[in-house]
Order: sequence, then structure tokens, then C-alpha cells
Amino acid sequence: MVRSTSGGTGTVLPVLTVFICCCMLFSGALFALQKDESPTSASPVTESPVTEEPPAETAAAEQDAVSVVEEQVKDPAALKLEETLKKNSKCLKCHNRERSKLLEDGSELSLQVHKDGYLASAHGEVSCVSCHRAIGNRKHPSKSTNINITSEREYSVEMNGSCRKCHMQKYKQYKGSVHSALVAQGSEKAPVCTSCHNPHAPVSMVNYQAETGLPCKNCHENIFNAYSASVHGKARISGNTIRDSHIQAPICSDCHHSHEVTALAIGDVLRTTCIACHENVTLLHNQWLPNAGTHLDIVSCAVCHAPFAQRKFDLHLYDNVAKVPLTMQEGDAPIQEQLQAIADEGGTGDPLEIWKARGGFGKEGQPADISLRSRMEVMSGVAAHQIASKSFAVRTCESCHEPGWRQKQNVTVSITQSDGRTQSFEANREALSSVKAVESISDFYALGGNPSKFLDILLLLSLAAGIAVPIGHFTLGKMIKEYMARGEK
Amino acid sequence: MSTSPIEQKQPDVWIKTKDSELYINPLPVRIWHWLNALGFVVLILTGTHIRYANLFNLMSFETAIKTHNWVAFAVIANYFVWLGFYLFSDRITVYHPELNMRKFFDKAFKQMMYYGYGIFRGHKSPHKVVPYDKFNPMQSITYQIVMLLVVPVQFITGLMMWDVKRFEAPIAMLGGLNTVVTVHVLIYIFFVSFTMIHAYMGALGSTPATHFREMFTGYEEEH
Repeated sequence: MVRSTSGGTGTVLPVLTVFICCCMLFSGALFALQKDESPTSASPVTESPVTEEPPAETAAAEQDAVSVVEEQVKDPAALKLEETLKKNSKCLKCHNRERSKLLEDGSELSLQVHKDGYLASAHGEVSCVSCHRAIGNRKHPSKSTNINITSEREYSVEMNGSCRKCHMQKYKQYKGSVHSALVAQGSEKAPVCTSCHNPHAPVSMVNYQAETGLPCKNCHENIFNAYSASVHGKARISGNTIRDSHIQAPICSDCHHSHEVTALAIGDVLRTTCIACHENVTLLHNQWLPNAGTHLDIVSCAVCHAPFAQRKFDLHLYDNVAKVPLTMQEGDAPIQEQLQAIADEGGTGDPLEIWKARGGFGKEGQPADISLRSRMEVMSGVAAHQIASKSFAVRTCESCHEPGWRQKQNVTVSITQSDGRTQSFEANREALSSVKAVESISDFYALGGNPSKFLDILLLLSLAAGIAVPIGHFTLGKMIKEYMARGEK
Repeated sequence: MSTSPIEQKQPDVWIKTKDSELYINPLPVRIWHWLNALGFVVLILTGTHIRYANLFNLMSFETAIKTHNWVAFAVIANYFVWLGFYLFSDRITVYHPELNMRKFFDKAFKQMMYYGYGIFRGHKSPHKVVPYDKFNPMQSITYQIVMLLVVPVQFITGLMMWDVKRFEAPIAMLGGLNTVVTVHVLIYIFFVSFTMIHAYMGALGSTPATHFREMFTGYEEEH
């Protein structure tokens, strides 16, 4: 057994050794054969290190891929997002439900944030506390640590700055708008960011459709209704059939901008806004309208293109040096009193003199060369949006250029305030007719509508002289001849 | 009665005619005069229509404006016919002013007396009309003021009103559009009576048609 066992072992070992040797030889031969079969290996270039790079790169790329996968797993942003969503879900756990807070003014502020809407929105990945800084995990208001909010409005105004962090450009535009200026003045209605954009479910700009007029319609319903019935509104709603298919009929923000919202009823702004789309307007008016350039300068587009709108003459203080309408600057003394004086006394005196006598802006360094410029405007913002189709536009000159027409029009005296809005005062209708105003309203003249009684009387005198001189001379001749004839008899 | 050198002066060769001593109004002057007269009438009528639109329903406001503008340019061009003729011919003497004030007033007074009395008595005009001195002192001074001051001012103000935007700077320099328009209207008012009185005085020849005929033929008729 032992022998046989040992004899057995004695035969296995040599066989194994031979087998291993054979395997080594075989694998060595196979390796050598593989090396010989490689085409690059036969080439002398293959020996250069360059040719050996691809395999090295592949290896490196493989290594990189591995590391990227590892990094993805460890990406701090992804981790942060995960953490944010986790934290947000904590907030939403409660705030998804209907709940509200009693404010100091007695109203209730809804604290509900619809989870689905919020998560699906562009703000879905934004941490709740990045806007609601005052409400962290450890300082969440409770019955004992309540946060007092006077009113929803006050809270909205206060929260307005939160948007700046991410939307700096839009925020800057908004700060330059008439809306922001009104908010700064304490307006209770002027919009803040959240008035137009629901912060918990902000929607893309394309969702602000002309059909709804939102969000502008919330405050400017009358104007939006006028727009809807206008050639622009109808075209927008019916698929922009107004002009070339690639040009869309305007909605509110196309003329007024969406964030740097401006009041257009200031000097040239409205005209340039219209011309931005109707670029050949000067050419078209030049074809038939005498003094087209001047008409376009002093007559607001809507005066003719909103044919049923009520019109007015607006006297605007104009800086002849800077060649711009005079605008009240921050720190200027209130001008309301002076303007009211022009409005009240303008019919009997020189409006500019009245203004100067009242001290102008009451401030040193005011522009020295100021005149009153008159523009034809429509009476209201609603009228300015009632733009009709071109075929309905006022085309007959007599609509404006006829005696007595001017006296029937409303006259306002206005100034552009520092916030960009125009403040107007209804003036005496005689303000434009006053002989004393010839100099101060030196740029204004409307053919046919000039009601200077002084010149009318002069014309009648001239006509009378043209008739009386011949008749008088002829009669004198007759009398002399008769007298002489009588004398001769 | 001795005649002055200017009265004896003979017309240029190019306008010499069969009876050159009586050839008072050469062709360029007659063309200018009648075109100008027609232009003035149209300008006054359209101007009145523009200023008092709808006073008479002759035409639309737009037509009135366009007619006024076109005729005004024709009248301006025509003015240069007059100016060119007098600048480049020796007929300029008809406008030479009487620099001697005593003499001027004396002549002017005599002329006024003639129009106020002598003309009805069949007296001869104290001013003898000759080719190089065709205007009596009153005509001379009036026409000079009209042609060298009033008419150019009317052209300039009218041109400014034609394209207010183009002439923005000069309008501002003159005190604004209202001032420019007021000047234009004042001159228009002046021309209303001027044209009527001028036409009446034109009828004060030996017959009412005499001076009109003379202005067509160019020849002074024997009175």
C-alpha cells in the first residue's frame, strides 16, 4: 500500500512537472506567435513609443471612466441637490397641506405650497430657505417664536429682494421700471416680482398669452380690453395675420417691456416704439402727408390710428439745450403748484412766464433755455391702445386743421416725473390761443386751426382797405368831377 | 422842359424795337409780372383756404396745401426771372432810388396830388414814363420794399413752413415756428389789400384797360 502509494506519488510528480513545462512552452510559443502575427510589430515604427500610445490612452480613458463614475457618485452638487430636495420635502410635508397664518392686518396668508407644482417648476431644485432665510430649521416659527407680518403686501415687498440673488439682470431692469418707482413711493398696488410670478410655481414666459392678458390684466384690465379689441390684439389672438408671418403682433411686453416697464406717453418713446416694428412709417407718410416728419414728431400715432379716441394738446416743458423733455429730478422741489398755475392762468398769460415767475423747479442750476412744446395726444391710456386697422385711420386733414377745432380740444400741462411717469394738469383751453403765448409755445402751430383773433381782425382790415380804397378813390373822382362840372355851369 | 440823361437813354440793342422809346416793359418783365400775378391770386386763395379751412368749399384742405406748395415754388422760380433780368440788364435803373430826400418827397407829394386830384381833372401824370425810369417815386419805393424785402421774407418763411423738420434750425433761430408763421400771415394780409389796390390802380389809365394792355404788349400807349 505504502509502496504502491509512494510509487503512485513518484509517478504523478514527474507527470505534473512535464505538464507544467509543456504548458509554459505552449504559452511561450503562443505569445511569440501572437507577437509575430501583429502587423505593427513587424514595422520598425511599431517599436517607437508613439505607436505604443494608443493602448496606453485606452487604458487611461478606461481609468478616467472609472474615476468619473466614482466622482458622479460623489458629486457635491448632486449631493447638495439631494440634500436640498430632502430638506424641501421636509418643508413640503407640512406646507403641501392647506394652512394659513393670521397677519397683523387681520387677513390670512396662505402658507400652502403645492408640492407637485413646486417640484415641477424651475424653482423645484431651489431650497426653500434660500428665499425664506428667516425660516431655517432651527428657527421655524412656532407659537412661541412667531414671526410678525403686518400684511401680505408688506411681506411681498420685503421678499422682493430675494429674487435678486439669482435674477440679478431682471431685478435691475425691474428697479428701473415705473412699477418699482411706484412701489418705492409706497403704492399699495404697484407690482413686485411675486405679483406677476408665482414664486412656488413660476411658469415660462411663453405661458403669458395674449388671450388671457395675464399678468398685466390683473391691474390694467381696461387697457387690456382696449388692446384686445385693437388691430394688434385681434391679430395676436387670431394667429398674427396682421403682417408677415414671422412678425408677431405685439402683446403688452413687446411695447412696454416685461421688467423695465415704462409708461410710453413720454415725448418720443411711443413713436419710436411703434416705428420699431413699422419701420417704413416715415416713407409711407411722406407719400401723402405734407410735413410728415413734423406730424410724426408732434402727433402721437394713436391720435390718427385710434380714430374714435378723445384727443388733447399736451404742453410739455422742454429743455432746448439738451433737446429733451424736461424731467423732474430727484430732489427737485415739487412743481405741481407751478404747473397748476400754468393750467389755471395759461389762457390769459404767457404759460412759460407764469412758470418762471413761480420759480420753475425752485432750484438753482435749472436749464436756462426752456420752452413749452405741444404734442397731440390721446386723452387716456385706454385710448392709446384702441389702435384700429389702417383703413380706419384718420386721413382727412380737416379732422384737425379747421378753425375752431383747436379751441374744442382739451389742453393739459404736464411734466415727466423722476419715476418716468407723466403728471398732467388740465389747463385752460385758451392757453394755446393766447397771443402772449406765441413766444413760449413758439414751436407749435397747426394750420387752419390757429385762432389768433388779432390776425383775423388785421385780415379783415386789409380786405376792407382793398375794397374801400378803390371805392373811395372812385367816389372822390366822381365828386370832384361833379363839383367841377357844377362850377363850370 | 429839359429831359434828364436817364430819360434820354436808349434801350439796349437786344430789346430795341420799332418804337423803343415806348417799349417800357420788356418780355421777361411781362412774363414775370403775369405769372406772378396769377401765382399771387392762387396763393392768396389757397392760403385763405388753408388758414380758414372750410370757409369755402372749393377744394379739400389737402389739395389746398399741395396747390399752395407747388404754386409757391413756381412763384419763387419766377422771382429769379425778375431778379435775373434786372441784375443782368441795364434796366435796373428803374429801381434806382431817389437819394435826394427833398426831391423824393417833392416828387412823391406831386404824385399824390395827381392821384388825389389831377387824375380826375385830366391832368398829365407828373412822372413821365420812359424805359429807364418807368416808376414814379411812390411806385419805385413801394416795389423796392416789396420785391427786395417783403417777397423774399414771404418766400423764406413759406419755405420753412413747407418742411418744418428740414428747416428746424433756422426756424428756431428766428424764434420758433409760431413766429415764422405769424410773419408769413402778416405778409399775406398785406398782399390781400396790395393786390386789390394794385389792380385798381392798374385801371387808372386813360381807359380802365390801358395799363393792362400795356403790360401785355410792353408798349406805353399815348395818353
